[in-house]
Amino acid sequence: MSIEIVDGASASEPVLGADEELKGRSPRELAWRRFRRNKVGIIAGVFTLGTLLSSLFAPFICKVLGLDPNELHLDQINVSTGLPKAYLGGISWEHPLGLLPGTGRDLLSQLLYGSRISFLVMILATVATLFVGLLAGITGGYLKGRVDATLGRVTDFLLAFPSFFMIVALAEPLVDRIQRLGIAHGNSARILFLIIILTFFGWTGFSRLIRSQVLSLSERDFVTAATALGASRTRIIFQELIPNLWAPVIVVLSLSLPGYLTAESVFSFLGIGVQPPGFTWGLLISNSTQYVTNMPSFFLIATVSLVLVVLAFNLLGDAVRDALDPKADK
Amino acid sequence: MSKLPQSKRFGRAAIATSVAAGLVVSGLMSSSIGTANAAGPKTGGTLILLEHTPKLDHLDPSRIYTGRDLAFENSFFIRTLVAYNPVPGAAGAGLVADLATNTGVPSNEAKTWKFTLRPGTTFEDGTKITCAHVKYGVSRVFAADIITDGPGYLQQWLDLGKVEYKGPYAKDTAGQAAFDKAVTCSADNRTITFNLNKSVADFNYLGTYGVISPVQAKLDKGDAYDLRPQATGPYKIAENTTNQLKLVRNPKWSKASDSIRTPYPDEVIMKFGLDEQVMDQVFLNDTMYNAVNFDGPLPANKDEFFQNDKYKDRRINTNDPYSRYLAFNVKKMPCLEIRQAMYYARNAKAILDYAGGTFFGGTYSTGSISPLLGLDYEPTKVVGPGSPDFVATGNVAKAQALMDKAKTSCPADYKHATVDGLVIDISQSVTLQDTIPINTAAWARVGLKVSYNIIKSGYYSTVLNPAKQSDMSNSGWGADWANASTVIPELFTLEGGFNLCQNGDDPAYKDFKAAVDVAMKTTDRAKQAAMWKALDVKAMESMWILPTNYGKSQYIWGKGVGGAFFWQPQGTLAWGKLYIK
Repeated sequence: MSIEIVDGASASEPVLGADEELKGRSPRELAWRRFRRNKVGIIAGVFTLGTLLSSLFAPFICKVLGLDPNELHLDQINVSTGLPKAYLGGISWEHPLGLLPGTGRDLLSQLLYGSRISFLVMILATVATLFVGLLAGITGGYLKGRVDATLGRVTDFLLAFPSFFMIVALAEPLVDRIQRLGIAHGNSARILFLIIILTFFGWTGFSRLIRSQVLSLSERDFVTAATALGASRTRIIFQELIPNLWAPVIVVLSLSLPGYLTAESVFSFLGIGVQPPGFTWGLLISNSTQYVTNMPSFFLIATVSLVLVVLAFNLLGDAVRDALDPKADK
Repeated sequence: MSKLPQSKRFGRAAIATSVAAGLVVSGLMSSSIGTANAAGPKTGGTLILLEHTPKLDHLDPSRIYTGRDLAFENSFFIRTLVAYNPVPGAAGAGLVADLATNTGVPSNEAKTWKFTLRPGTTFEDGTKITCAHVKYGVSRVFAADIITDGPGYLQQWLDLGKVEYKGPYAKDTAGQAAFDKAVTCSADNRTITFNLNKSVADFNYLGTYGVISPVQAKLDKGDAYDLRPQATGPYKIAENTTNQLKLVRNPKWSKASDSIRTPYPDEVIMKFGLDEQVMDQVFLNDTMYNAVNFDGPLPANKDEFFQNDKYKDRRINTNDPYSRYLAFNVKKMPCLEIRQAMYYARNAKAILDYAGGTFFGGTYSTGSISPLLGLDYEPTKVVGPGSPDFVATGNVAKAQALMDKAKTSCPADYKHATVDGLVIDISQSVTLQDTIPINTAAWARVGLKVSYNIIKSGYYSTVLNPAKQSDMSNSGWGADWANASTVIPELFTLEGGFNLCQNGDDPAYKDFKAAVDVAMKTTDRAKQAAMWKALDVKAMESMWILPTNYGKSQYIWGKGVGGAFFWQPQGTLAWGKLYIK
């Protein structure tokens, strides 16, 4: 029956349709189809995108809502406790997430503006890590021999380093150095320091992954063929290797973004990242810990925000990995 | 006794107030003194002190200069020639003999001071304390490169002629000879004599400080002595690690030789580096019944502690002896108009409210001298309440007018303050995240731009270094004893031990210094007090400091701790009188 209908509809169309089926799908299309089937991934993706956009457009959003992250509402603060006078930490239509104790600044706008620095560090550190890791991985994996051995030892050395303690110890002198060199001042210097130091210790794992991929790729037939045809090194690297590396790059990207977001928060929390009057999520959380018992809403909002965003990034990362590399074990 | 401990909040620590000053404030204080336990003191148990900072600044008696720490050390393990009487109320400001048999005998118009040592006093290793030990202890403070941070009066007052003495560590024959003349021991090694280069009627008050205390030369390891000084009191240091300082009974101490100390607990443990919120929870829930908060509660928890009757036997809220201020580095900020604009534009009310308003935070400053100094205190009428242009939330119009004037009178400084931005030194603390935005917003009202240099450790040693000090430095000072001679010269003359103003090049400095010299020589106490008041006015007119507030301190402790009271001259609890119920 169906054949008849199809036949009846048009003579040429079924042929075309069959043709399409036969053409198959590009890996990109396949990955996209797999990704779309993952509901959790889609939700996480939408949430992540929403967060990134609201962070990007924080000034616009705050203007529309009539909020200012630096405006003090001292009249709404109880003098002897420092807590907002209103019920529930001052949550109201004007201040959807309430007010910060002590100064009465608006929490929602602080979260939005604070996320800008947190996300900035996260994105820049990730991009820089990927760049350095990619460069080192390809160089080592493709050139092999002494270059690879040297890079391998450097990577080992850095991996063996207690990086967390190094960052804590180096924060003051390095920020000082950056300021004295006149590259950046104040919080800009601190942000720069965080990006540099996170990259410095962060590229090694990624470089290892890329190196192993390059090692396996360069033994494949298409690379051998290109070499046999007399292709230059540059051509092989840029035309043959790099296009085949994007899957691991995207996976690492989506998984290291939340890692750096947490790292930024941790270092700001410890007082070696951004300092007041600047604000990031780490600083907000460290501020909120003072009020855990007196004003739990502040602590909960600040921490749950961080948890949600990191979770969303991680779930998105998992979904992307599943989509790109279905054979990999979870 | 004088530097304000740079802990998280606004208040803490100590001052020496004389009996006279004590009487003035005793009414104020008596209401807030904790009720003593009716059952009376008991011996035994472990007293635990909880402290937020990772360690105390110093343990070396010659280097301690923070009131609270002085009181702690003097209560437990370091004896001085004389001491404050650890009793509640005004009587606590009276001097009593400690290692000496009397509170000092002046002669030669108070240029010579004699102290005779009490028999039966020993170090923790059993060595008998002699005059030579005290003399050696005194000589150490001259090694300014090693024995840092202590009070500098001995260097100013001991009559060494023109010789510059470098302390016992350097090979300095001429200096040593001069020192040996200035400080002498009697033939029986029991009486120590100090020869001063001028009359100092209250020299014996310096005897309450560890700078005049016995040290054994053979055990002195210079800087390392700070880690484990030899005890002379009823306790000795058993453990000094990153987590805690543990004191145990010193068996060589004899009750007969000490009329003031009553060592009730068997052990005293100070725990370092605790989270403040955790500390507050300990006391709110009373989970460590034998603990005392060495600091004070967080602002957010004060209401619960001080309004809830549940805690009424376990709290003290009282005026402390500190005058808090922001010191202007006059070398970097020579423009008077800008300094005044900083003062007028500041929102004093918002900051005081943040500190808990008048109930917890204190009152607006009217000068550099604290009201607890009694005789020497009078509102300057230049700054603070009583002055014509004082507005608690900031006199923006006046500040703006001053800024407009500065624009033409000192354009370079105007640019520095409005375009480049002024840098303010401040120590790391939890209130920063709130006070910085309040101040930044207040100053921005007249176009003043500020940023903060947050110093994590070694705050005072950093800002007292002219090479490292920024445009302004947050600070606090309490008199070393009840005379503004330990305030005005200390803060505002270049010879002073705590000059954060670097005001030597200021046009007003020369006259000011001359007037200070006259006041220092004045022996008529009433006349001298009038001079200090006038000098306080001058300092405020020159705006070398931006006075902020006179503070209050809060103390809380667990249910099992008895005997707590506020020790007026030390501006803290009398730690040695605490016992475990």
